[in-house]
Amino acid sequence: MSDNIEEIQKSVRKYIIIGIALLALSGFTVWLSTVELPTHGLNILVGMIVATFKASLVALIFMHLNHERPVIYKVLAFTVAFAIVLFVLFILSAQDPLVFEGFYNRNE
Amino acid sequence: MSAAATSHEHAQDHHAHDHHEPGFLRKYVWSTDHKTIGIQYGITGLLFLLFGFFLMLLMRWSIAYPGVPLPAIAEIRAIPGLGDAFESMFGRWMNADGSLNGEIYNMLGAMHGTIMVFFGIVPLGFAAFGNFVMPLQIGTIDMAFPKLNMLSYWFFFISGVLMVYSFFVGTGPVQTGWTMYSPLASTTGIGVTSVWAHGHTWWLTAMVFNISASLLGSVNFIATIINLRTKGMTWMKMPFFCWAMFVIAFLLLLAFPPLEVAAILQLSDRVFGSSFYLPTGLMEGGKHLDISGGGSPLLYQHLFWFLAHPEVYVLILPAFAILSDVIPCNARRPLWGYKSLVYGVLTLGFLSFLVWAHHMYLTGMGTMMSTYFQITTVLISVPSVVLLTCLMVSLWGGSIRFNTQMLFASAFLPMFGIGGLTGLPLAFAFIDLALHDTYYVIGHFHYVVAPGTIFALFAGVYHWYPKITGRFMSDRLGKWHFWPSLIGMNLVFAPMFIQGMAGFHRRWYDGGKYFENTSGFQNWSTTLTHNIGGFFGFNIPDNMLSLNIVMSVGAFILALGQVPFIINFWFSIKGGKKIENDNPWGATTLEWATPTPPPHGNFLFEPVAHRGPYEYSVPGHGADFFPQWETEQGKPETKPTADKALAKH
Amino acid sequence: MDIPYTVTSRPDTGLYNAKIGIWLFLASEVMLFGGLFSAYIFLRVGADYPWPVWDLDVKLGFWNTVFLIISSVTVVMAWASIKLRKYTQYKLCMLATIACAAIFMVNKSMEYAKKFQHYAVKLTDGTILTGHLPHGYQVKFENVDALELTIVGSNKAVDADPVNHVLSSVVGDVPKFKFPSGEEKELNKATFGELRKSMRDAAFAKMQDERAKMIEAAEKAASVATTDFAKYEAARKLTIAKNYHSLSDTKVKLIPSAPLKIAAKPSQFFGYTDTSLTFVDGTIATGKLVDDKMTLEVDGVDTRAVAQSEQSLAFDHRYLGEGWQKAFVANRDHHIADFEKKYPTRDKAKSATLQKESLFFKEFHSAEPPAAGEAHGGKHGAEAHAPADSHGHEAYHPTVVIEKKDITFFSNFTPKLNTYYAIYFTLTGLHGLHVVAGAGVLAYFLFFNGRMLREDPEHLANRVEVGGLFWHFVDLVWIFLFPLLYLL
Ligand code: HEM
Ligand SMILES: [Cu+2]
Repeated sequence: MSDNIEEIQKSVRKYIIIGIALLALSGFTVWLSTVELPTHGLNILVGMIVATFKASLVALIFMHLNHERPVIYKVLAFTVAFAIVLFVLFILSAQDPLVFEGFYNRNE
Repeated sequence: MSAAATSHEHAQDHHAHDHHEPGFLRKYVWSTDHKTIGIQYGITGLLFLLFGFFLMLLMRWSIAYPGVPLPAIAEIRAIPGLGDAFESMFGRWMNADGSLNGEIYNMLGAMHGTIMVFFGIVPLGFAAFGNFVMPLQIGTIDMAFPKLNMLSYWFFFISGVLMVYSFFVGTGPVQTGWTMYSPLASTTGIGVTSVWAHGHTWWLTAMVFNISASLLGSVNFIATIINLRTKGMTWMKMPFFCWAMFVIAFLLLLAFPPLEVAAILQLSDRVFGSSFYLPTGLMEGGKHLDISGGGSPLLYQHLFWFLAHPEVYVLILPAFAILSDVIPCNARRPLWGYKSLVYGVLTLGFLSFLVWAHHMYLTGMGTMMSTYFQITTVLISVPSVVLLTCLMVSLWGGSIRFNTQMLFASAFLPMFGIGGLTGLPLAFAFIDLALHDTYYVIGHFHYVVAPGTIFALFAGVYHWYPKITGRFMSDRLGKWHFWPSLIGMNLVFAPMFIQGMAGFHRRWYDGGKYFENTSGFQNWSTTLTHNIGGFFGFNIPDNMLSLNIVMSVGAFILALGQVPFIINFWFSIKGGKKIENDNPWGATTLEWATPTPPPHGNFLFEPVAHRGPYEYSVPGHGADFFPQWETEQGKPETKPTADKALAKH
Repeated sequence: MDIPYTVTSRPDTGLYNAKIGIWLFLASEVMLFGGLFSAYIFLRVGADYPWPVWDLDVKLGFWNTVFLIISSVTVVMAWASIKLRKYTQYKLCMLATIACAAIFMVNKSMEYAKKFQHYAVKLTDGTILTGHLPHGYQVKFENVDALELTIVGSNKAVDADPVNHVLSSVVGDVPKFKFPSGEEKELNKATFGELRKSMRDAAFAKMQDERAKMIEAAEKAASVATTDFAKYEAARKLTIAKNYHSLSDTKVKLIPSAPLKIAAKPSQFFGYTDTSLTFVDGTIATGKLVDDKMTLEVDGVDTRAVAQSEQSLAFDHRYLGEGWQKAFVANRDHHIADFEKKYPTRDKAKSATLQKESLFFKEFHSAEPPAAGEAHGGKHGAEAHAPADSHGHEAYHPTVVIEKKDITFFSNFTPKLNTYYAIYFTLTGLHGLHVVAGAGVLAYFLFFNGRMLREDPEHLANRVEVGGLFWHFVDLVWIFLFPLLYLL
C-alpha cells in the first residue's frame, strides 16, 4: 500500500462504499436462496458466485490485493491452485468409483 | 554453543560489544537466537530418533522371535526389589513371560512411525539444520520473527511431551499405525470410560501442537529467505540448501493444514461422537455403533495423504540440501547443474501436491482417477532423478576427501537410488494392488528415509559440528560409525523386498510365523541364509521366516553402530580436535565467514555475496575455493565494518 | 542489533517482514479452511440423508454477517486513520471492530446454546422427531441390590471406578455399602481406594505364592533330573516360573444396605437389560428396569426418509395420532399443489425445498391438532397465527412418550446428530476461535500499544494493517460460511 496521504484519504470513501455494497449483496444472497431455481445445484452455484464476488471485493479492496507486490501474488496463486486441487480431486475421486460391470454382468 | 568452547579472537572481540549478557534461561531455554533454537531442535530430534529406534528394536525382536521373552528380562525381574519396580513400570508392556503380544506390537509400530517421521526426521532435517544454517548462509543476523521461532520450538516440545505421555494413559498409545486410518482409529477404545484414557486422543492433540509448530517454523523460514537475504545474495546466488529449505517450508505451510483438519475431524469423531469418517451402518463386535453414520473413511485418507505425500518430500529434501553442501565441499568441485537442481526442486515441490492418491489405489478408485495419479507419480520421479544425478555428477573429476561426512554422503547416493527405483513399480496401480501394505512398501520407503535421509543427516552433523562447537568430531570413530551403519541398514531393509514380493503383510507382529509350513516359501535368499547360518554353526531354517532373523540381526548391528556416534558426539564437545580457523573444510558459503561459534548477531562484518555459492577449484584463483564473501582482493576487513554494521541499526 | 525491515520495506521486494509473514500465514489458513470446505463438499455429495437446508436461524446468521462486514470496514478505517494521524478516529474504529466481534460471539453462543437443548430422535422406520426433552432422558432402575465390579490385577486396562461413574446417577440418599470384608461403609474415594489396594495386594500375594510354588516344583524337578532332556526341561520350566508375573483380576460385589434407585443418562452407561445396567466403567448394577421411555415435546416431524410419509410411525396412535396426521397430510398436499402451480414443468422429487416444506412438518401451533377441515397449512396462514418456531415462544408442542424399542438413534443438535451438524460445528467453531483470536490481537494493539502510537505510529500502522489483514480473512471465510451453512 502506498503511503501517499491523499490516496489514503480518497480510499476511505471507497471503503465505506464497498462496505455498503457488501451489506447489500448479503441481503441479495438471502433473497436469492428463497428463489427456487430449476435445480438446487443451480441455487448453490449462483450463491457461490455471489459469495466469491463478495470475497473478491474484500480481498481486493480491504486487503489491498488490487495493488500488491509480485511475491505475494505468487504465493497466493500457488495456494489457490492447491486449494482447488483439494476440492476438485477429492470430488472427482469420490465420483469415480471402480465399476466391475463386465465382470458381474457376464452371464446376464 | 558456550563461549568457553573456544578462545577465538573474534568471539572475544564480540563479547566486548555485548553489554547485557542474557541470563542462562534467556540464552539456552527461552532463546530467540536461531542458532540456539536450531541446536535445541537438533538435540530433541536426535533423542526422539534414538527413542523411535529403540521401539523398532523391540518390534524386530518380536518379529524374529515371536513369543520368546525379551533378552535379559528374566534377569532384570529376578533382581530383588528392583524387579518389582521394573514390573510395575514396564509390566504392562509385556506378557507375563516377558514376550510382546500383538497389541503392544501395534502400539510400538504406530509410535515408531509417528515419532520417526514427525518428531525425528522433520525436526532434525528442517528445523534443526534449517534454523542453524539457513540464516547464516543468506547472511542475516537472525530469523525474521525470532519470537515465533522460539514459540515454534516450544510447541514442538509440548507436542513431544504429549506424545510420550500417551504411553502412560489408561489403554496405552495408539495402535492404528502412523497413518491412523479411520474408522478403526475413530472407534478403537471408544467404550473406554473417558476419551482421555485412550492414547489416541493424546496422539491427535499432540499432532495439533506439532502442526502448529511447523506452521510457525515455515512462515518464518519463507519470510526470512524472501526478505532478509544480504547484499548481493540474489536468488540465483543462494546456496541450494536454502532453496531446498524454501521449498520444504512451502510444503509444510500448505500441506500440513489439511492434516490438521483430518486430526480435528477425527478428534471430533472421538470426543463428540460425530461421524465424519464413519459410514452408515458401521458395526463393531456384532453391534451397531451408537453413531449417526453418513461419513466416509475415504475422506480421512484423502486429507491424510494430501499431507503425507508432500511430507515424504519434507523427509527427503533436507538430505539433498545437506549433501549439496557436503559433496561439492569435499569433492572440491562446483555443484554440477545448480540451475537444474533449483528448478528440479521447485518442480518437485509443485508436483508433490498432485500425486497423493497413489497411496490409495486399493480403495476402489476408478480407472480415470488412478490413471491420473499414475501419470503424476511417474512424472514426479523425473525431478527426483534430476536431483540425484546432479549430485552424482558433481563427484566426477573431483579430488574427493573421504572424511566421515563424505562417506555418508557417497553412501546416500546408491541408497536413495534403490529407494527411488523401488518406488517406481509402486506407482503403477496394477503392481501396487499386489504390493500394497506388504514389506515391499516398507522396504521402499525405509531405503529412502533410513540409509537415505538419516545418512545425510549424519553427514550434516559431522559437517557443521566444527562450526557449532569449534571442534572436529573424531574421524576414526566416525568410520566406526559409518561402516556398521551401512551394513546394518542394508541387512535390515534389503530382505524386505524379497519378503514383500512373497506377500508378507507389513503389520504381522509374529513376522508370519503362522505360515511357517506353507510350501513355496523358499528361494535363493533363504537358502543362502540357511547355508551361511550353517557355516557358522547356527541352525537357521530354509524359509522366508529366516529373513526375519537376518533383518533383526541387522537391526542389532545398526544399534551397535550408533554407539561410536553417541560417544563421538558428546565427547568431542570438550575433547575433539580444535579447529585452526573459522573455515576448517575450506568451504565457500557464508556460514563459514562467521566466528566460531557464531555469536549473537552472527557476522562481524556486513557479508556480501560476491559470487555463486560453489566456487571450488576456480581456474586462476590461488586457493582451491573462492568463498562468496571474499572480494577479488581478499577477505573483507572485519573490525571496522563490524562497528559500522552495528552503528547502522 | 535489530532485524532489518521490521518497519520499513525492503526495496527489492517492497515488503516489510510482518506483511510477508501474515500473508504466508493466511495462505496456510486458506488451506486449512480449504480442507474443511472440501470435507464439507465430500460429506454433502456423499450424504445418504436429506442435507439440511435453511435449518439454522437465518436471521441470526444474517445479522452476524452484517456485524462482520461492518467490522471489516472499521478495521481498515482504523489503519487509514493512523496513516492520516487521526488518533481519536483510530481508537473509535478499533473499538467498533472489537465491539462487533463481541456481538458476533454473543450471537454465536446463543445459537449454540439453543442447539444443545434441542433433540432429534430417529425412529425405526426412519422418521425423525425433533423437540425438547422436558426431563432429560434417563433410564431408571429400582431395587438395585448389588454393584458388581472387576478390579484388574495389573494396570493394563481401565479400571472400575463406581465412585465417579455410578454414584452420580443414584436417586436420593446414597446408603452405606457392604464391602467384601463384611463391613458396612460409605462408598467414597478413600474407601474404594482402600478396597482396590487390598484387592491388588491380594492378587500380588497370590501371584507370588504361585510363583514360589512353580519355582519350587521346577527346582525339585531339576534336582531329580537325570537325562539331558529332563534337565533342559526343568531349566526351561524354572525360567518360566521365575518370569511368572500374571496378576489375576478380582470380581467384587458391593451390596447396598438399602435397595438403590438409579436414573442414568445415556452417556453414563454402555447398555442395559431388564435386570442389569452396565456403566461405562464396567460396573454392573443388578435390579429391575422400571422406565426407559423418552418424553419428547415434539416440534417437528421429518418424514423425508419414510417411503409413505403419512404412514410414519410418528402418527401411530401411541404417538401423535390421527388428528396430526390429517394436519400433516393437508400441509403436505398444500405445498405440493402450490409447487405444481408455480413450477408446472419441474420434477417434484428433485426440489430439496419442496421435500423439506412438505415432508418436514413443523406446524404445531396448539397442543391439540386443528379440527378436521380447519387445517390451514401453508406459510402465510402459519405466520398469521403464531411466530415461527425458531423464535422459541408461543409454540405449543404436543408431548409424546416414545418407547425405547422404537428408537434407533437420538442426539441433541450437536456434532453427533449427523454430518451436517458435525461440519457446522467444526466450521463455525474454528471460525469463532479465529474471531476471538483476531479480536484479542486488535484489542492488544488498541490497549497496550499506546506508546507506540505516539512514538512510532508507522510501526503501529504496520501492526494494525497486519492484524486487519487477518480480520478481513476471518470476514472472508464467513462470507462463504453463511450461504453454505445457513442458506443453501
Ligand atoms: C522417487 C519416486 C517415488 C515414487 C514413484 C514413490 C511411489 C510410492 C508409492 C506408489 C507408494 C505407495 C505404496 C503403497 O502403499 O502401496 C509409496 C509409499 C511410500 N513412499 Fe514412496 N515413492 C517415491 C519416493 C519416495 C520418497 C523420496 C520418499 C521419502 C521419504 C518416499 C516415502 C514413502 C513412504 C513413507 C511410503 C509409505 C507410506 C505408508 O503407507 O506408510 N517415497 N511410494
Ligand atoms: Cu507418496
